[in-house]
Amino acid sequence: MLSKLLKHEFRATGRVMLPVLGVLLFISVLFNLSVRFYSAGSSVLLNLLFALVVFAFVAGIIAAEIIALVLMITRFYRNLLGEEGYLMHTLPANVHELVWSKIIVSFVWFFVTNLLIILIGVGTALFLSGSNLAEIFADFPGWDEIRAALQEVGLAPRHFIGLGLEYLLLILIGGVAACLHFYAAMALGHTVANHKGLFSVLFFIGISMAFSILSTMVGASSVDALEKLFSNMSTAVQTVHSVQKLFAAVAGWELLQAALLYVATVLGLKKWLNLA
Amino acid sequence: MAILTCKELCKKYGSVQALDNVDLAVEPGRVVGLLGPNGSGKTTLIKLANGLLTPTSGEILIAGEKPGPETKRIVSYLPDRQYLPAWMSVKQMMEFFADFYDDFDRDKAAEMLARLGIKADMHIREMSKGTREKAQLIMVMSRSAQLYLLDEPIGGVDPATRDYILDTIIRNYNPEASVIISTHLISDVEQVLDDVIFINGGRVVLQSSVDEIREKHGMSVDSYFREVFKC
Repeated sequence: MLSKLLKHEFRATGRVMLPVLGVLLFISVLFNLSVRFYSAGSSVLLNLLFALVVFAFVAGIIAAEIIALVLMITRFYRNLLGEEGYLMHTLPANVHELVWSKIIVSFVWFFVTNLLIILIGVGTALFLSGSNLAEIFADFPGWDEIRAALQEVGLAPRHFIGLGLEYLLLILIGGVAACLHFYAAMALGHTVANHKGLFSVLFFIGISMAFSILSTMVGASSVDALEKLFSNMSTAVQTVHSVQKLFAAVAGWELLQAALLYVATVLGLKKWLNLA
Repeated sequence: MAILTCKELCKKYGSVQALDNVDLAVEPGRVVGLLGPNGSGKTTLIKLANGLLTPTSGEILIAGEKPGPETKRIVSYLPDRQYLPAWMSVKQMMEFFADFYDDFDRDKAAEMLARLGIKADMHIREMSKGTREKAQLIMVMSRSAQLYLLDEPIGGVDPATRDYILDTIIRNYNPEASVIISTHLISDVEQVLDDVIFINGGRVVLQSSVDEIREKHGMSVDSYFREVFKC
């Protein structure tokens, strides 16, 4: 059932996100061409046009992020808590599948949007610096050299692969927790009879404050542990291990927050559902 | 086994008692009118049967099971509002129903929609209110469900549309299934009902067959309803 929900969720959101990403790609191509052919001081009109393209480029990047965020919120609200909720909550699917379909699709769109922005950024930076990927890779040391340099300080590629995987996991859990922060606030805010929107905002602020206080308390109580963790960084291996442990601790804390938010979302939709 | 059973079912919204100790059973193959004035608890009962609300106490069972994904497979529900996503085309809407409900008859839906002149590429947002209501009903009645829960299907529509809706219900429901029609427009639905449930102030006042009311009280269900609910 989750695969069917995902299919229809991608269809519903794709009609918004695909054109947005298409426009972003178009603006970035326009920006790249403008940079390529623009020479400062050529004419007032060209200067103005160039400024407009730069503005559109920056605005496009910001707009894509905002649209992805707004879409994540409105899809959950309209589809599960608005009138469409009468359709979605009477499908032969359980609440977990409904929530996960929203989380996965939102995460994918955020990931794709940010990946596209990074690729556009890298492409623009390469062009502005006058280099290309072939030149950069030509200057890049070979794997044997890298391995040898790492071995000199007692490191192996697996240390960096492990660090990279932990970082990706951190992004994944952080992204899911961020989605659930909005979902939990809306699910709880819509359990009240009136002023559901206002209560959703209040729940969002309340959850943010509660987690900030808890994070501060956890951070304060972990000072000694952190000092101990980073006290012994005399070798590269020890440094990598310390960073890995820190990543694992942060991921654990985010996972706990995500779990609490998930339970609140599911309870709001299952036990206390109160469609308008 | 009864397709719908309520045992001491209660539902409270804060301090408001929407349903109060409701006991009832609906047998398969019956067309039942859930009749009561506005605010009597009809929609609450139907929402509970669909798992859209959780009982405060007591229980509600569909074919012996608590409302959940399994009961939703056999229940076809028409809410008292327009609930289909406005951005969907008719084709997408049919694909959606066919994907989620194994008992959805796509050909039957397409035929009924075509008879109304609704094209497959038409979007829900392009339809008039009446056409949207008919399209929703067609989706719901194109399923071969065991229980149809229709909440105010003829409320707020013109008499011609009312006739079309009732005709569509009667012509298309699975004969082995039960149909529960919630309404306060009794004279319009009376002709199609086998049984009635009178509900008022969250309590079931009467559960009887239409024939029994006519024989016992010598009047139509509409007249009897007016007598029972006289202000």
